[in-house]
This record gives sequence, C-alpha cells and structure tokens, in this order.
Amino acid sequence: MNAAFARTVSDSPLARRNPSVKLLLMLVVSVAVMFVLDPVTPSVLFLVAFAATAIGARMPVASLARSLAPFLLFAFSVFVVNVLTRPGEVLWQAGMLRVTSEGILVGLALAGRTMLTGLLAVAFLSSTDGVALVNSLHQQARLNVRVAYAILAGYRMLQDLGTEWTTIRQAQLVRCPLGRTGRPTARLRRLLASVFALLVGSIRRGERVAHTLELRGLGRTPRTVWQPVPLGRADVWFAIVVLVTLAAILAAAGASGVLRGPGALF
Amino acid sequence: MLRGVDLVVGAGERVLVFGPSGSGKSTLLQVLSGSIPHSVNATLDGTVRIGDSVTEASPVVDRSPIIGAVGQDPSAGVCLPQVDAELALVLENAAVPPAEIHGRVLTALRTAGATALAGCATAELSGGELQRVALAAAVVAHPAVLLLDEPTSMLDARGVHAVRQAVDAAVRETRPAVVLVEHRLDEFAGDAGVSGLPERAVAIGDDGTVLMDGPTADVLSANAATLHALGCWLPLDTELQAVTGLAGRLADGTFDAFLESCIPVRTDDGPATEDAARPLAAPLLTASALSVGHRSSPVVGNVDLAMHAGEIVAVLGANGAGKSTVLRTLAGLLRPLAGRVDGERPGLVFQNPEHQFIAGTVERELVHGLDARDVQRLEVARTLARHRLSPLAHRHPHQLSGGEKRRLSLAAMLAHGRSVLLADEPTFGLDRRDTAAVADVLRETAAGGRAVLFASHDLRVVAALADRVIVIADGGVLYDGDLLTALRRPDLLEAAGVHPSRLLRWFAGRCETAWQLREAVAAVDRARVSS
Repeated sequence: MNAAFARTVSDSPLARRNPSVKLLLMLVVSVAVMFVLDPVTPSVLFLVAFAATAIGARMPVASLARSLAPFLLFAFSVFVVNVLTRPGEVLWQAGMLRVTSEGILVGLALAGRTMLTGLLAVAFLSSTDGVALVNSLHQQARLNVRVAYAILAGYRMLQDLGTEWTTIRQAQLVRCPLGRTGRPTARLRRLLASVFALLVGSIRRGERVAHTLELRGLGRTPRTVWQPVPLGRADVWFAIVVLVTLAAILAAAGASGVLRGPGALF
Repeated sequence: MLRGVDLVVGAGERVLVFGPSGSGKSTLLQVLSGSIPHSVNATLDGTVRIGDSVTEASPVVDRSPIIGAVGQDPSAGVCLPQVDAELALVLENAAVPPAEIHGRVLTALRTAGATALAGCATAELSGGELQRVALAAAVVAHPAVLLLDEPTSMLDARGVHAVRQAVDAAVRETRPAVVLVEHRLDEFAGDAGVSGLPERAVAIGDDGTVLMDGPTADVLSANAATLHALGCWLPLDTELQAVTGLAGRLADGTFDAFLESCIPVRTDDGPATEDAARPLAAPLLTASALSVGHRSSPVVGNVDLAMHAGEIVAVLGANGAGKSTVLRTLAGLLRPLAGRVDGERPGLVFQNPEHQFIAGTVERELVHGLDARDVQRLEVARTLARHRLSPLAHRHPHQLSGGEKRRLSLAAMLAHGRSVLLADEPTFGLDRRDTAAVADVLRETAAGGRAVLFASHDLRVVAALADRVIVIADGGVLYDGDLLTALRRPDLLEAAGVHPSRLLRWFAGRCETAWQLREAVAAVDRARVSS
C-alpha cells in the first residue's frame, strides 16, 4: 500500500505529459525488457531512466533512491533465488547449496529488470495526478466513465483500509485468551475473523459509495469534462524520444554482442 | 418496513421525518433516492413521483438531476481523492459547460462553509469537514429536492454545529424541498428547541405507519407520550411534556416544579455514593506519566490517572484529541511512548461493535475467549436474557440492529469479568431506550465492584453516569474532577468540544453538589410517561 499517487503533484516536465501516454510508454518499456536476459542492457536502461526521472520529474536523487528501496529488496530476493536454483556451470558448492555462473547472470538480469520496472512505477506515480489519469484514460483511451470513477473511489477507500485493519485487529485482540507466555493465542482463527470483518465493512461502504456516485449522476450522457487532459505535440515528441532511446540502447546492446534474449534461460 | 405511507412535499417545503429505531425512517429516503427498489433487494408497492419525470421505476441515475443527498457516513459521502473534483463530477455529469464549473464549485463550497477546503485531499478531512463537502456536492447542481439522512449523527458537538449551519445556509440559498431524517432531535434542534426544526414533521410509529403529519410543534406535542415510550430522542420541551403531562417550555417555567423534584435533598450523613469513601480503596488501574500516540507525534502526554473499584469515569475531548488512543493504550493494545500502566488486563469495548465480532452466532460471540469454567459461571442463557439478546441467540452478529450489536459487544466483554471496563463512545448512535440500557449496564458493572472508564461526546449520558470527568485537549489532561465544576467553566467545555444542553445548564445552576447533578439527570432519564 506504499505505492500511492502523490497527494499534490509538483509541476515538472514529466508531470505535464499526458498520463495515458506515460502509462503506455511504461508498459512498452516493461514488456520490451521482459525479453532481455543479460545483466548489462537492463542496467543501462535503468541508469538512463534514473537520470531522466531525476531531471524530468525534478526529483532529488536521494529521495528517488529512497523510494526504490522496496524494489531493491524484491530485486535482491529474485537474484538470490536464481543464483541458488539455476542449473549450469557450478562455481561454488556446499552441500545442497551451489552457485552457477548462469544463475548469477540471469539473476542479475532479472534483478535489473525488477529495478527498472520499479523505477518506472515510481516515476509514473510521483508525476501523475490520480484524477487526471482517470480523466485521461476516459478521454484518450476510451475507458468507460463509470469504470474510471470506480477506480478513483476504490483508491480513496484503499487510503482508509490500513487504519480500519489495525482497529479490527486490536478490537479482536481484547477478548483473546493469552497463552502461558502472555502472548495471544488462536492466531489463525482471529486472522480469518479480521479479514471477514474488513470485507463486510468494505463491501457495505462500497455499496454506499456506489449509490453516492449514481446520485451524483455518474453515467449520464452527454457529459462535459471540467479540466480536459491535453494530448499535444510535446506528448508526441516525448513518446518518440523514449521509444528511440529504447531502440537505440537495444540496438547497441545487440551490435556489441551483450544482448541476450530468453535463450539465456536454456 | 414502511406501510401505507402517503407523503406529498411541495416545492421548497421542508419536512422532518422521525420515529423510533427500525421504524423505516431511512427506508423512506431510500425509496425517494431510488436505492429501493433498484440497488437494495426490497419490494415496493405504491407510486413515487418526483418532479415531472421521476417515478418509482426510474433508476437512481435518472433521479440525479432532481435529487441531492447527504447520508450518515462521512466516509461514504465523499468518493474522490480531491475536494474540487468531487463537486466538479456532479456538474460534469450534468453537462455544465466547463467554463462555469470552477465558479459554481467555489460558490457551493462557500455556501457549505467549506471554502478553505477547495484544494484539499479528502483523505485529510475530519468527519465534519467531509459532511460539509458532501453537502456542497449535494447542492452544487441546485437540485429541486435535498434528502438528508441523519447528516450529523457521527459528529462531535463542533461538527454538529458547523454542519447544521451549512445545511441552513445551503437550504436558504438553493431553496430545495428538504426531507430530513433525524433521530437525535434533542441535539439537532439545539438551543432553539422545536423552532430550530423544519416547519413540518412526519412522525412514524414502530409499525412503519405514519402516526401524524403536520406542523412540527403540533406533531411533537400530540405524540410526545407515544414517542417517548417508543424510546425516541425528543427536543427537551417535548420530552418534559411527555413525562409531566404539561405543555410549555423550559424557559417559561412550566417544568420547574418537576425538575426541582428530580434534585435530591443534600444530606450531611451522605449516601455512600458521595465522594468521601472512595479514594481509600486501592486503585484497580493506574497510569503514571503516560504518553500515548505515535513516536513522531505524541497525541497525549503526561497522563496520570487512577481508577478505583465502584467508580465511573468519563473521558471528554473533541474528535481527534486522542481519547481512543488513550483507551487503547490503557487496554494494553498500544505500547505507551513513555510512562506506564499498572493493573490487571482491562476490557475494552470499541466504538464500532462490528470491529469486535469474531464468532458466527450471538451465543458463540458471547462466550468467545472464555474457557469451560468461565462459560459455566456465566450462565449463558441468563446473560443473554439480561441483555435482551435471547431471541437473537442464533443470529449472525453482523445481522443485528445497531442497538443489539452494542448490547452484544458489551455483554461479550463483560463476560470476561475483568476488573476494569473501558468503553469508547458506548452510546454512539443509539436511541434513548438503548442508551438507557447501556447506562444501566455500566452502572451495575461499577456497583458490582469494578471500575468503568468511557469516552463520550454525549454530555447527558456523562452527567447521568460519571463520578468524575477527565478532559483531554491540547495534547494533555486539561481537567480531572467532577462534572458540575466543569460545566461552570466555558473554556473547558470549548476545549472538550461539547455543548451542554439546556437541561444540564438548568441543573448546573441549581445543584450544589456533583452528586445532586448526577442523580437529577438520572431521575429525568428514568422518568416514565405520566398518564
């Protein structure tokens, strides 16, 4: 639940780009790197994207690095799993544990891909206003307006979910018998009861929110848009620059023999 | 739910709908807004006409041009992450030209006293602020009909006041027909009494039929006894009329004789309840130099308090002052930032009973967490009967009414026999009958040698129950003493976010001791309809 739209998006070149275009480019880059399985290419892409985000979103390098911390943890675990499980040329072995050179290479590649995807997500969320995204998806991607606003309402409910969960857990702990060590017992049963209480509460609130949205006239036609999200020449140039850079890096990696595709897995 | 209801509301007319819990007040609004029969599974006979185009067959969306609505739950009345987008959505859906939207959003926010909130993220707003935004969104498109379903029921005194003013201003400026459903008529009417309510009233009985429809003062006066017996909250003058049989107003002295008779004579040999003996008993729970909250921002610091057997203590404080955090820390659910809590493990009843429910039936809920010996001691059938839960023994706790859920959550906590009972807003949202039932349970718990500490916004319950009040404000304990003294200090009341009713002010001016005040308020609570 840490990934959240910035409360107030500060102005920056990246923040002024069309949200649907940004979302689309993020998807294109993420899909493209899915077919890259060498450690160098994702690293280069990551460094270029990092610099572009720091400049384009006007984010201080330190805070950008900090927001990548959760992805670093995930990337590290991906790396470790690959190093220890992938068959290949054994570099080191101790009992059940062994390290292969293929494992290291593929692990680094997947870890680099994870970091790149994480970086793109951070860049997107910190430079995109939630309402503008939904409006843009509705205008430019022809997303149904009811679906679009259901997403926003769901996002708002998500903001309160953490507090609600804590309250339920505490409320159910009060009558919980304590074991000999003074620690609560019957954990699984209480966990299920908490999930149930959270679900019941969320479903009821969801129904009320849906009713409110209907009474606000959501779904009526024709409708107007207060602040249309512009899609302009700058967005086209932005897309061209991103795609050309991606293609250039991939081409250079291919020409220098660094690039490896899914074949690296076998 | 509702039966044989005929209601015609003219343009710009304001109507109050009230009646006991479960009478179908809210159901009527659901029929008007279309959630019945379109979203809620219920059968509807008869016809509905709103304006020229809306009938009972019109789906909710088709009613939106004519109807604006504000409900009870602030968190469900505002759906989007930003305030201005919330209001703009209504106008966008109504195909208002984009150039006009900004101005109309600001006008509606100003009407609702929420101008300062225009650029805010909705997640950061308080309940009272959310309700004002919801109100602004309800009137921004100038609907012909405004439906209000207990819009202040979840707010503290400050929030009630702000939202009431906003409703008055919005109605004045946009002139819709208003249908208001309200159960805390005593609070909603405020100091203005009956004249603070809409001019026309429809009273609904517990069988879902219309008791009477007419000018508000006449409806209240003619049905005072019936509504009081059904457990409704009534404006003070109506309540006193019900129990004395006299028609009049507090201000003109009609009820002075009755109220005087409620104040017990002060005796020097003193009943055991007068404060002298209590401090000698060893405390059951003590907090010393306690600081609670989150590490980055302590909510309340330097709390010192002791609770003794037989004592009832009330905690007062505005929304967000940290009452719930103090209670959870005392209960051992949150670790203190500093200081310590000593004593046996206390019980805690949360504000929303549903948060506590674990089991699939009322009966199993009652014995949750108890071992076989405790269950035997509890005598389940008798306990259920004592809390008026016997017929519900095999129902799912989530299916009960608000009052039943509250009684169950209290009974289930008390079953653990802990020496200290903590309760967060234990009478929140209840009608007068269930409030009295909860008050009786707390009183008996203390009389049985336990200690009770409860947080509340409802000064009347506090007055009828508490030996002592603690006011939490500005990050600390501002006051720890009797209520009578507190009532004479406007600065304390302001800090606590409470507003004493005319009844309490009347008694505060005439009682000499805190004990007299408590007994007098309890006597009014106990008073039954005079025939």
